[in-house]
Amino acid sequence: MSPRKIKYRLALVTMKTRIAFVIEKIRIKYIDYLTAALEIILSATVGFLIAAILLYFMGYNPYEVFGVLFRYGYGNISYLLSKSVPYIMTAMAFSIPLIAGVFNIGGESQLYVGAFTALLVSYYTANPVLGLLAGIIAGGGLGLFISILRLYRNINEVIAAIMINWTMYFLLVYLLTGIFHDPKISHQSIQVPESAWLGELLSPWGRIKISFILAVIGAIVMYYILYYTNLGYLLRVSGLSPLSARYAGYNPNKAVLCSMLLGGAMAGLGGALLIIGDVHSIDTTMSTLYGFGFTGIGIGLLGRNHPIGIIFAAIFFSGLLIGGQWVELKTGAPPQLTDTIIGIIVIALAIPYAYRMLISIVRRWRMK
Amino acid sequence: MIEDIINMMTNTFTTMTPLVLAGVGEIITERSGVVNIGLEGIFILSSFAAAVVTFYTGNPYLGLLVGILVGALSGVLHGFVSVYLRGDQIIAGVGYNSLAYGLSLMMLIALWQDYGKSPKVEKIPSISIQVTEGSIIIISPITILAIFIAIGVWWWLFKTSSGLKLRACGEDPRAAEAMGVNVFRTRFYATVLGTILTGIGGAYLVVGWTGRFTKFISAGRGFIALANVAFSNWNPLMAIVGGFVFGFFDALSIYLPIKLQIESGEIFTAESNLFSTIPYVATLVIVAIIMKKIKTPRALGKPYIKE
Amino acid sequence: MGNREIAIEMKGIHKIYPDGVIALRDVDFVVYKGEIHGLLGENGAGKTTLMRILYGEIKPTRGIIKIFGKKVKFHGPWDAIRHGIGMVYQQFTLVPTFTVEENLYLSYVSIEPKATVKDVREKAMKLMDELGFKVPLNAVVETLPVGIQQRVEIIKTLLRNARVLILDEPTSVLTPIETKELFNALRKLKEAGITIIFITHKLREVKEITDRVTVLRRGRRVGTVATDEVTQKDLARMMVEREVVFKIVRKPKEPGQPVFVVKDLWVRDDRGLMAVKGVSFELRKGEILGLAGVQGNGQRELAEALAGIRFIDKGEIYLYGEDITRLTASKRYSLGLAYVPDSRRIGLVYDMNIVENTVLTNMYRVITRTRRIKWGLASKYAKEVIDKLEVIAPGITSPIKYLSGGNQQKVMVGREIIREPTVFIVAEPTQGLDVGATEFIRKTLLSLRDQDKAILLISTDLDEIMQLSDRIAVIFEGKIMAMGKPEEFTLERLGLLMGGVIESQED
Repeated sequence: MSPRKIKYRLALVTMKTRIAFVIEKIRIKYIDYLTAALEIILSATVGFLIAAILLYFMGYNPYEVFGVLFRYGYGNISYLLSKSVPYIMTAMAFSIPLIAGVFNIGGESQLYVGAFTALLVSYYTANPVLGLLAGIIAGGGLGLFISILRLYRNINEVIAAIMINWTMYFLLVYLLTGIFHDPKISHQSIQVPESAWLGELLSPWGRIKISFILAVIGAIVMYYILYYTNLGYLLRVSGLSPLSARYAGYNPNKAVLCSMLLGGAMAGLGGALLIIGDVHSIDTTMSTLYGFGFTGIGIGLLGRNHPIGIIFAAIFFSGLLIGGQWVELKTGAPPQLTDTIIGIIVIALAIPYAYRMLISIVRRWRMK
Repeated sequence: MIEDIINMMTNTFTTMTPLVLAGVGEIITERSGVVNIGLEGIFILSSFAAAVVTFYTGNPYLGLLVGILVGALSGVLHGFVSVYLRGDQIIAGVGYNSLAYGLSLMMLIALWQDYGKSPKVEKIPSISIQVTEGSIIIISPITILAIFIAIGVWWWLFKTSSGLKLRACGEDPRAAEAMGVNVFRTRFYATVLGTILTGIGGAYLVVGWTGRFTKFISAGRGFIALANVAFSNWNPLMAIVGGFVFGFFDALSIYLPIKLQIESGEIFTAESNLFSTIPYVATLVIVAIIMKKIKTPRALGKPYIKE
Repeated sequence: MGNREIAIEMKGIHKIYPDGVIALRDVDFVVYKGEIHGLLGENGAGKTTLMRILYGEIKPTRGIIKIFGKKVKFHGPWDAIRHGIGMVYQQFTLVPTFTVEENLYLSYVSIEPKATVKDVREKAMKLMDELGFKVPLNAVVETLPVGIQQRVEIIKTLLRNARVLILDEPTSVLTPIETKELFNALRKLKEAGITIIFITHKLREVKEITDRVTVLRRGRRVGTVATDEVTQKDLARMMVEREVVFKIVRKPKEPGQPVFVVKDLWVRDDRGLMAVKGVSFELRKGEILGLAGVQGNGQRELAEALAGIRFIDKGEIYLYGEDITRLTASKRYSLGLAYVPDSRRIGLVYDMNIVENTVLTNMYRVITRTRRIKWGLASKYAKEVIDKLEVIAPGITSPIKYLSGGNQQKVMVGREIIREPTVFIVAEPTQGLDVGATEFIRKTLLSLRDQDKAILLISTDLDEIMQLSDRIAVIFEGKIMAMGKPEEFTLERLGLLMGGVIESQED
């Protein structure tokens, strides 16, 4: 072989190994992101597939339904973003404690009290900032209460949260129908005075409600706390490896208390933003507030328990909801469809091991 | 006064039935090491299925059977996800609850175009026992069934070898496996058995109690059943007692406002909601008191991973 | 040897795990009936994996297994049990909250489904008479001492008509006296015709009890020899395939001032029982104090109390003369104390990367007054750890679970070293590591000592203690049995002390 050919071959081989090395480095660095993305896409696909089958058996055309869903769901940006606000907040209410190893399914009642106190405070003071603060404190307080029950009376936080959810529900229905109802409009509570309403901002994409901006700010603040502060580190270590947290000298109770305080505060803020920034009153059957807490759980999981991911997941989901309402109008398919999809996706997300098993089976098959 | 007590007893027998059934069922499941918090969802789906079938066939016993079937299927799903796929059991339960809630509402609207309730259906006839002149205790055969089931399960868990094997799965699955117990199979069957019992409870809500499916037919009772499991210290006999205690408060919240309205002559709609909080507050308080004294199965909630 | 009946024959065994790790490569394994056959190898050589395949716990990726000449395919331990194979693990497979009787009944009932508790009790008592060792039938298992629990395990397998008994590192949890009793029992079993497979990494035991021994190394069979025909050195060479350096050179050094003083320490364990009973000692600069003892005698509780993560019932701890008894762990770390725990599960967060794991005990160095974490600085520290300890990792941001055990250990030790603490408390630093990593860590510890650090080395590995310590102490049931220079201890004396034998005053 001529010396030029040898040199050429050598350069080729070195370049190939270098490229392989770089690819390997990138692969390892991003493999966790890739697997996370794969899992999300897989479970969303599974959810939609099952929904499509359900629709087909109930006599609807899945293609038509999904068409309306996506076109109308994501058409109106301003509406889409404002509807996503409570979901962003309740998703964080579930995810932040989950990162610390605590199950908070009390986001429902934490949102209720946040909304209610915000309503009262803004009604009597006409000050939106005070209203928002009241919501944060109320929600945070309720979250803290659940964590205290867990730490000092050893009560399972799931049971405690559900009991509190229902207690708050009936308590608030009583308060709304008995005391704080609007004398002029039946079946509705007193209203937030207009001077306290949160407005909108003009942007190149349309009018964006301030409540959405505040929600995003909240998410960014949570992100900063979780990943850039001592407290966030404590929460993450306590959730991943409680023994290591103890080794590092952290008080495990602190993680439970702080995470529930933050989570509850987020849900409370969500309720407050909903009332002050969006609907301005609560109807006496509480249907304005009902359900955000529970769906927030699914969204938290969909967003991989990451504040930024949650923002996108919430927007995605709100689009589904809005689209679902249009679907009923246009095709007659029931709007509760999205509730079902969420349930399926949540179950699908509960099985990360299955995906890893799939990947390992594929790898073994490739080895043969 | 005696009349009140008799009435309360009747009501409590009614309210305790689903709590005992689901409680005992979940005891079986949790003793094997699996935690299923989807009881609420099973209540909802099995009660709905029972309502549908009873409506179209006119036969409440068929409704009961279908409720059992729905319970069993739910158990298969949860068992598969928790045991074989090693999924997070709490999240799976939460997801299942959401699914059940959404699914039932969707089908409610699809079938009967009503957003809140179904039409009335036939109920399984109850037994009336004459206590004193003028007062009768009404008790459903399902309630009696529930108590017998609880006693039977107790005997099975603590006095037979298969019960011992099941309990071993919940305490130390590695040891159980090494002793020749098929932990996966045991846990799976325990989950399905548990959900079957819960399914009976759910069907009972319609064909034995209210006679129709409503949006809030369960209203957290699935979780009160969970509290009953802890209260009973995972002992089916104590679950009967616990069912009675929790059921009492449930009955109280229904009975008390009615009684007060009759006595005072007034009607209060808003205030009745306050009474509705009684069972939940009571559950919380009871759990707060007993929680320090119970012994959880060691391996509860942790997926068993073989290599 | 020609006409002896073959009890176990495993041919061409391969085991590849889903994540790609090759645990066993084309291993052949033959055991004759009625012999005690040793299975020797370092940690990670594949001994336990091979036996778990034999016991049906794991399925081989390839290979044939024959039991007494019959070809078998096991789907789980119950298949193996039915063929007469019994396994006694390092971690016992007893339900800790059940009684001994319930455990025996549970295991027996899988063979004889119609048996009653009475049947089991009768059979067990007969067996105990024959073998000459007893267990209390009505005691709850977790209240029994480890040696007795192991006996329960053995009785349990024998009740199931085991013809082949596999013991996985049985002496790792026993005192020297209990070990002797175990060996006597094993010899009796051999006389009764039971075949025994004895997994170990201890050469002394192989020479003492086995008839033949198979050596595994990195998943491959190196060879099978008759025990009488080889020396410990031969076996060691087969295990690592190079001349093993049995001695690490420790330079003589004059110890400095005492910097760490422990006075009359009493600490409880997780069950509320007193685990450390009045321990006192002091650590001096430039010295390694080796604390020897069988696992479970209070070492974990002592170390955690010294580190500040376990509550101290009574007693005091002084660092440089300051009373630190009431300080939290993070405060003690910032004052110059370092603790490397015996379990990587505790010391590391597997899902976090090297930087985040470094921060675990270095938090006080990377935090601003507003509680913000300086990740840039943390990365610098992480790189320092990687350089100083020669850690091999795919990347600084990859989760630490992708590192090998040795490299994980290096990170755990390294992140303490870069803080330049004065006092090191190190527990089982080379547990589960291969020879290369072990050597590296031990050399690192010695260099720390040469840099005038004070080190408390807690280890169950007597060779390690003898090699590295300037002074040795022995702990048994929470008390210090003796303390002195390594020259004052023979292995025999150490064994006796570890086993709780109190020495008479007149020696």
